[in-house]
Amino acid sequence: MSTKDELDRIEMLQGTLDLLILRTLVLGPAHGHAIAKAIEFRSDEVLQVEQGSLYPALHRLIKRKWISAAEGTSENNRRAKFYSLTAKGRAQLDLETRKWDKFAGAIARILRPAKQEK
Amino acid sequence: MSRRDRKRHLSDLESDIQNHIEIETQDNIARGMSPEEARYAAMRKFGNVTRVMEDTREVWAITWLDHLIQDLRFALRGIRKSPLFATVVVLTLALGIGANTAIFTIIDSVMLRAIPVSDPQHLLVFSWQSHKENPDFIGHSSFGDCTGPDCSLPVPYFRAMRTQGSDSFSKVAAFSGPIPVNFTGNGPASRAQGTYVSGDFFLTIGVSMFLGRPLGPADDAPGAPAAIVLDYAYWRSAFASDPTVVGRAVRLNDTSAMIVGVADSRFTNLTPGKFQDFYMPLSLVTSVRSQWWSSGERLMNPGAFWVVVIGRLQPGVSIAHARATATTIFRNETIHGAKPLFTEADDPTVNLTYVQQGLGGETAQIAPMLYVMMSAVGIVMLITCANVAGLVLARSARRQKEMALRMAIGAGPGRIVRQLLTESILLSTLGGLLGVLLSLWGVRAITHFVASGYNDTFPFVVEPNWRVLAFTLAVTFVTGILFGLAPARRSARVDVNPALKENPSASSKAMIGKRLRLGDALVVAQVAFSIVIAVGAGLLVRTLENLRSLDPGFNTENMVIFGVNPVLAGYDSAKIMQVCGTLQQRFAATPGVVSVSYSGDALLSGSRSGTDVHLDGATPQKNEAVDTMAIGLDFLSTMKIPLLSGRAFVSQDFATTATTDAAVKSAHDAGEAAVKKAAPSAHLQFPPIKAAPIPVLVNRKLVQEFFANHNPIGKHIGVSDYNPNPGGLEPGYLVVGVVGDTKYSDLRREVKPAMYLPLTNNSLHFELRTAMNPASLIPAVREIVASVDRNLPLFEVMTQSEQVDRILFQERLITRVAGFFGVLTLVLACFGLYGLLSYEVAWRTRELGIRMALGAQSRDILNLVINQVIVIVAIGLAVGIAAALGLTRFMSDMLYNVRPNDPGTIAAVAALLAVVALIACYLPARRAIHTDPIVALRHE
Repeated sequence: MSTKDELDRIEMLQGTLDLLILRTLVLGPAHGHAIAKAIEFRSDEVLQVEQGSLYPALHRLIKRKWISAAEGTSENNRRAKFYSLTAKGRAQLDLETRKWDKFAGAIARILRPAKQEK
Repeated sequence: MSRRDRKRHLSDLESDIQNHIEIETQDNIARGMSPEEARYAAMRKFGNVTRVMEDTREVWAITWLDHLIQDLRFALRGIRKSPLFATVVVLTLALGIGANTAIFTIIDSVMLRAIPVSDPQHLLVFSWQSHKENPDFIGHSSFGDCTGPDCSLPVPYFRAMRTQGSDSFSKVAAFSGPIPVNFTGNGPASRAQGTYVSGDFFLTIGVSMFLGRPLGPADDAPGAPAAIVLDYAYWRSAFASDPTVVGRAVRLNDTSAMIVGVADSRFTNLTPGKFQDFYMPLSLVTSVRSQWWSSGERLMNPGAFWVVVIGRLQPGVSIAHARATATTIFRNETIHGAKPLFTEADDPTVNLTYVQQGLGGETAQIAPMLYVMMSAVGIVMLITCANVAGLVLARSARRQKEMALRMAIGAGPGRIVRQLLTESILLSTLGGLLGVLLSLWGVRAITHFVASGYNDTFPFVVEPNWRVLAFTLAVTFVTGILFGLAPARRSARVDVNPALKENPSASSKAMIGKRLRLGDALVVAQVAFSIVIAVGAGLLVRTLENLRSLDPGFNTENMVIFGVNPVLAGYDSAKIMQVCGTLQQRFAATPGVVSVSYSGDALLSGSRSGTDVHLDGATPQKNEAVDTMAIGLDFLSTMKIPLLSGRAFVSQDFATTATTDAAVKSAHDAGEAAVKKAAPSAHLQFPPIKAAPIPVLVNRKLVQEFFANHNPIGKHIGVSDYNPNPGGLEPGYLVVGVVGDTKYSDLRREVKPAMYLPLTNNSLHFELRTAMNPASLIPAVREIVASVDRNLPLFEVMTQSEQVDRILFQERLITRVAGFFGVLTLVLACFGLYGLLSYEVAWRTRELGIRMALGAQSRDILNLVINQVIVIVAIGLAVGIAAALGLTRFMSDMLYNVRPNDPGTIAAVAALLAVVALIACYLPARRAIHTDPIVALRHE
């Protein structure tokens, strides 16, 4: 069965997506669609999020109390949930960002020499 | 995270998602797409909405709880789908769990009860032992408090312990009794049970008073005004909970005493199963005493062993140290005291045990019975489990397709097992709840029945408590898991493909084999267990029948018996004979009474008297034990005991006896006084006492054993020469008649050589032979006694057949319970066989259809179905009979006139079981015969 591999992959994506959501919300409260758009836009459209996967991630973050949700009105004049960063979420973002930098740096250090050899 | 939070967060999820897609669609339209295209692109970009929603919900899920609720819903649905199955399972379990809980409730109250005193783990009871088993006691009384060693001790020892043992014991107290006392001053005279307690008894055990004050050391001082404390239950029943009872004066025999308090309602007695009506100080023994005690002094005499001593251990003192102290003081008293009872070589020692273990009381008699019952219910529980497992197994096999389907759509094996377990635990919980209700009824029924045997309230306080609930809970869950696990594990191993194809006869033969083997084993086990229980029950029924149909040597029909105790009322011999004479005349004149007499003990009442005699010409010191019974005029004719030769008693015999008794007593007192006065070395010799020998009737057994069947009329029988009268040789007995043998104290006891003596000075029982229903005469009897003498309380008023029922109470109880279990197990076995067979037939419908289509006759089909049953039942019978032969040996003490391996009983039980098995197969077999081949072939 492949369930286990799938789970691992989801978890990888989750972590990254969580980080991106937190980063996006630093700029201010936003609803789901706006967050998805922001991530796409800010990554120069490199990262194509399957927008649906945003929702489980948002709820996971609420459950961990990193973000909070409040009622608001979207640009098309509908009731919508606006998500905003909590203090706990902000601290977590700092931590995750540092971790990410470290991780990316390490990967980069390993990959760069390999490129030069070619 | 609570379920409410979760609900709040999830409530808008769907509209949020719709909103999201809407905005994206708008964006796409703005980018120039057509509306349909825009919506399609938005949805594609979003992904699977259902899955997103599910994933999001999953974030919040408290998974196990969700699954549990889901499983429970599923289980309920399953139960609703097969109500018959569910009903049978729940009822079976309710019976099994109910029986177990009921018996355990009683065992709990009898065996595991908490003593109702403060800090019982520091309360110790004293007992003694020595190499000399029978020292020269002045008196020895015990009241069934201790189960093991002798714990009757003399009062001087108790006092020495209290004054000298304080380094080991913070408090020491003593008690003894209860003894029956004539209680007057509260309505008509009644007989009440009084226990002697030392002044510090209540202080030592730490029991408070409900009303008034406890007895104190001052009450126990010599010459203190007599004070008593009432037992709570007696206060409620005899004094109607009168709150002004404290300070009231009553009379105990002929001593007046004041009620000073009522004990706490929770305290009944230190010893389980014993009750008393009131407590009186030890010092009162000088005036209020048991009629059976000789005139000896009991408070100062170190040779009178009659009180139970308890002590509260000093904090930090070891039991070994306390024991050493207690033994040293015991040796001081008994070896080095004024009247030594032991020598150093006898090595007298004292043992200390915790009161919880040391004071066993009635527990010792009831415990073996309860353990037999507990084993029986244990087996019943196993049968219940086997039975239900069989039913569940059969059902789960029928559900294989469903399970396979569920596995095919992705349920893991763990999930399936859990779901099946949920179902079985749900069923067992329902069974458990019903079982608890059943057990409440069962406990009432059993204690009511037991109480009827005691002719009193059940001597133990029975109330369900946390231990019982925990027990039931454990039984319920273990049962649920046991009967659910095996089938669940099997279902989880289902191979998806063949099961879905459902062609059982072809594709999964191996699996059928396995299922059948387990199912068969369950039925074999049930049959075998049923045999064991039913054989045990059968043997007990035979025993009861044997005892019931036994000829006791006298006619037990149409008799009223009751006790009166003129000795306690303070009457002397002359007054007793006068009162008895008056009562006898009054009763004889009562319409409906055929004849009337009285005797010391009532026959078949459980009690008996006896003495040692010395036969003329026998070697010195060689005495024979005989049963004795003091009787009144007309005893033989009233009881219908045949007079074989000689004559019955006449009035002159009673006068002779009274004269002789008086002469013997005065000679005894004179002799004792002379011995006291004389020098220790003097050897006093008295001539034989001048009085006529006491006329006696002897039974046939005595003639056979002591007179070699020769005519004994006119022969003399001497008194025991072991402990001769210090005033001279007693005249002994003269045989005037020979009577038929009768059973004496109970039905099981062999007839022993017996002597009937004229009753002159005794507590006694009246026997009335009636011409009508004896019970209807009881009110008249009470009236007559009250009119003749208001000071004579009646006790143990009943008919002779009630008396026999009472003496057979234990047998009746065990037989009834065993009979119930016997029937229960047979019914369960019937269910089990039925379940297995119905399943079998259902499983083979197609095969049977083909056979019938090919021309098989009903008889062939019947043979096919029943052959298997015969094999299984035969194996079960063989195993069961072997087990029964092995186990019933342990019952031999309970049986009477029937051997534990009685072939008749075993054959009858085997036949009964075979019939039950046939009944169990009837319905399924009929269904098999009436299988319509067409329907059967289309079945799948």
